[in-house]
Amino acid sequence: MNFDISSEQNILQDSVDRFVQDHYELDKRQLLVLTEQGFSNDNWQTMAELGWLGVSVPEAHGGFGGNEIDTMILMQAFGKGLVLEPFFASTVLGAKAIADGGSEDLKTKMLPGVVDGSRQLTFAYAEAQSRFDLNDIVTRAQRDGDDYVINGHKSMVLHAASAHQIVVSTRTSGGQAEQAGISLFLIDADAAGVEITSFPTVDGQQAAEIKLEGVKVPSSRLLGALDQGYELLNSVATAGILALAAEAVGAMEILYKDTVAYTQEREQFDHALSDFQVLQHRMVDMFMEYEQCKSLLYRATLEVVQNSTGAQRSVHALKYYVGKMGTFIGENAVQLHGGMGTTEELRVGHYFKRLLVIDAQFGNSDHHLALFAA
Amino acid sequence: MDIDLSSNDLAFQQEVREFLAANAYKNGADYAEWRLNWFKLAREKGGWDVSKWPEAFGGPGWSPTQHYIWEQETAVAQTPWDLPFGLSMLAPVLMNHGNEEQQNRFLPDIRDRKVNWCQGYSEPNAGSDLANLKTKAVLSEDGSYYTVTGTKIWTTLAHIADWIFCLTRTSDAGIKQQGITFLLIPMKQAGIEVKPIITLGGSHTVNMVHLTDVKVPVENRVGEEGKGWGYAKGLLAHERTGLAGISKSLAALQNLRKQASQVKRGNSTLLDDPSYRAKLAELEIDLMATEFTELRSLASAANGAEPGPESSILKLKGTEIQQRIQKLTVEAGGIYSAAWGPMPVGHLFARGGMSGYLSSRAYTIYGGASEVQRDVIAKNVLGIKKSQSK
Ligand SMILES: Cc1cc2nc3c(=O)[nH]c(=O)nc-3n(C[C@H](O)[C@H](O)[C@H](O)COP(=O)(O)OP(=O)(O)OC[C@H]3O[C@@H](n4cnc5c(N)ncnc54)[C@H](O)[C@@H]3O)c2cc1C
Ligand SMILES: Cc1cc2nc3c(=O)[nH]c(=O)nc-3n(C[C@H](O)[C@H](O)[C@H](O)COP(=O)(O)OP(=O)(O)OC[C@H]3O[C@@H](n4cnc5c(N)ncnc54)[C@H](O)[C@@H]3O)c2cc1C
Repeated sequence: MNFDISSEQNILQDSVDRFVQDHYELDKRQLLVLTEQGFSNDNWQTMAELGWLGVSVPEAHGGFGGNEIDTMILMQAFGKGLVLEPFFASTVLGAKAIADGGSEDLKTKMLPGVVDGSRQLTFAYAEAQSRFDLNDIVTRAQRDGDDYVINGHKSMVLHAASAHQIVVSTRTSGGQAEQAGISLFLIDADAAGVEITSFPTVDGQQAAEIKLEGVKVPSSRLLGALDQGYELLNSVATAGILALAAEAVGAMEILYKDTVAYTQEREQFDHALSDFQVLQHRMVDMFMEYEQCKSLLYRATLEVVQNSTGAQRSVHALKYYVGKMGTFIGENAVQLHGGMGTTEELRVGHYFKRLLVIDAQFGNSDHHLALFAA
Repeated sequence: MDIDLSSNDLAFQQEVREFLAANAYKNGADYAEWRLNWFKLAREKGGWDVSKWPEAFGGPGWSPTQHYIWEQETAVAQTPWDLPFGLSMLAPVLMNHGNEEQQNRFLPDIRDRKVNWCQGYSEPNAGSDLANLKTKAVLSEDGSYYTVTGTKIWTTLAHIADWIFCLTRTSDAGIKQQGITFLLIPMKQAGIEVKPIITLGGSHTVNMVHLTDVKVPVENRVGEEGKGWGYAKGLLAHERTGLAGISKSLAALQNLRKQASQVKRGNSTLLDDPSYRAKLAELEIDLMATEFTELRSLASAANGAEPGPESSILKLKGTEIQQRIQKLTVEAGGIYSAAWGPMPVGHLFARGGMSGYLSSRAYTIYGGASEVQRDVIAKNVLGIKKSQSK
């Protein structure tokens, strides 16, 4: 047994920590939040140059050929900086769907651009009625000669406005919530019939509602097997959950450490706030839950990497626990900062908001607890 | 023991319902006009516009049960917006400690909702430890005015307020609680600068207020110099019981059920989800207990007794319940709760859910942070004294 990362991964960690330190002071971040695109092209280019955008892309297609542990290292650091660039949507979700489900031709065409940053992807899976069920899909794709025609509506698609291609989950057969009959397609964001309406999210990121009206896509853009797309959909979601949990763990670390630091500086009643035992114990609990989240993160990530039998359950456990404890740590970080914690000026509130959004992505803690118990 | 309403109380309840139904806002009407008229009509009912004021100052002189009925009914009816600062915070101080001239000068405008007040207590270094406040008020040699200099923070709605009631320091002698003086200061004057503070819900409600050499006539001092802490403490107790919001939470819980029933999950709704239902049930049970804790507190007050130990529980339980309702609203919104900004996305209620939840985090911070509130109960109710270390 060994929980140490490799020397290569150590180098990766050092460089991403440095990137976050250099580019993600809160003031700088908040300026990026206010831009229309919501992130920095320079940062994006830096990420490409450092090879991160291809971290999980096979070497044959110009990537680094890494696994979920490499992604975890990046996402944990991104969580410490609340990084805005669409690495998650494009590399973790989009590129994985293509790498695991696309034809050789499609991979050759699409992946090198993802790696060098010239192509940005995203993943459209949620629908109004689906809540957190990946398999509840009413967006339809119908065969029309050599093409498919897609009609439907996708919700809360991350960074869709700046994406070039979108992976879309559709129903090609079967009933609304059946796992069979799901197919994934890669559509062009600028294809006729794609209407993207973007808006900011509470954590300073960008998302969009997408209307699909008679969108034509050639059958060569099918990802995975026809009607058998659920497995691919679920494995992309699993990669997503692991990455989000890693990001959450990074954010939790900032929250508990900032709270420990602040309560030692802030004085009331002629004492540092940290003198009060009730606050000490609360911070100890925040720290313990952060460590517990990290343990579940390592557990689930390693099990997925090794394809162990219990991996799926561990992923549910992880998402449940991170959602619940992210809220606990965030709420208490704000509480212990008092009025200051409720402002946009201090960074704790921003980390808290990110954790709230992470809870709502790919199934909230209730959803995963139910799946775990089932 | 008896939990039924008397026939008089039932008749009162009916009267309140009729009043609220008859004067509900009608779509298309001028809101500001409707609002002021509503207060006028409520006043004509016999002081319903200042329901919490004592009879001597024009209040309705209701029994605790009647107050409870009013809270319950107004929580579910549409009533005009109102601010607590003048009406519920300053007015009791003026009634108890202000002179007649001050009462005549300030109370009518508060009652008519003509003048907006804000509360200038907290300072950067005087939050939970409010007595640590440093804003200086120096009396002029001829004793006719104070010169006030200092910084207030978290001042809610200072940017729309006409006046601020302020705790200031007039002396450093003795313990911190001494030497605090209660002053009334007009906001719109040179020497007062209001800077917005943006909070997590994305809104501007609180401010930093800088006072620089602001001259305040001595007539604007409430009570005696150096006695302001005692006046303010009484006010804080008022503020705390007002913050429990039990009736509002009962109404909010009903509303939440309705919202959850609109969230589809396959062929059922979120209301059919066992874990969500269980959370609603837990919340309801807590509210059932808290509602009766409030009633017990009201009943003992009705019998003329000091508010019992149960009243100290209300702010703590009440605010924690409000926060849980907000959290469950966010959960009901699912993915859509993350949407931000003016564009409507997803369920209508999901829009306000997140900002409501984020704002609610302050409920356990202001009006006495929950930890400090528990300290107060430990000391005053459980009677725990700090022992000397040996
Ligand atoms: C079943 C059992 C088996 C045991 N076996 C052994 C044994 O084999 N050998 C042996 O030597 N001892 C043994 N013990 C004794 C055990 O180690 C003591 O009970 C323990 O150290 C606590 O001491 P105490 O009971 O005097 O409680 P106290 O020290 O009086 O503490 C009482 C409670 O006060 C709280 N408390 C205490 N200090 C603080 C603080 N600083 N801050 C906040 N809260 C505090 C804690 O909640 C604690 O439970 C045993 C005890 C039990 C119950
Ligand atoms: C939205 C909002 C509106 C407000 N409106 C007004 C207003 O209109 N007028 C006004 O005067 N003030 C207002 N306040 C200020 C409010 O009263 C203070 O925020 C509050 O008193 C806490 O002070 P603080 O923020 O300085 O926190 P601190 O006193 O620094 O405390 C920070 C945290 O430390 C903990 N803590 C503090 N003391 C203790 C202790 N003794 N033991 C254990 N734990 C402790 C608590 O968790 C607390 O939340 C408002 C605040 C907010 C957030």
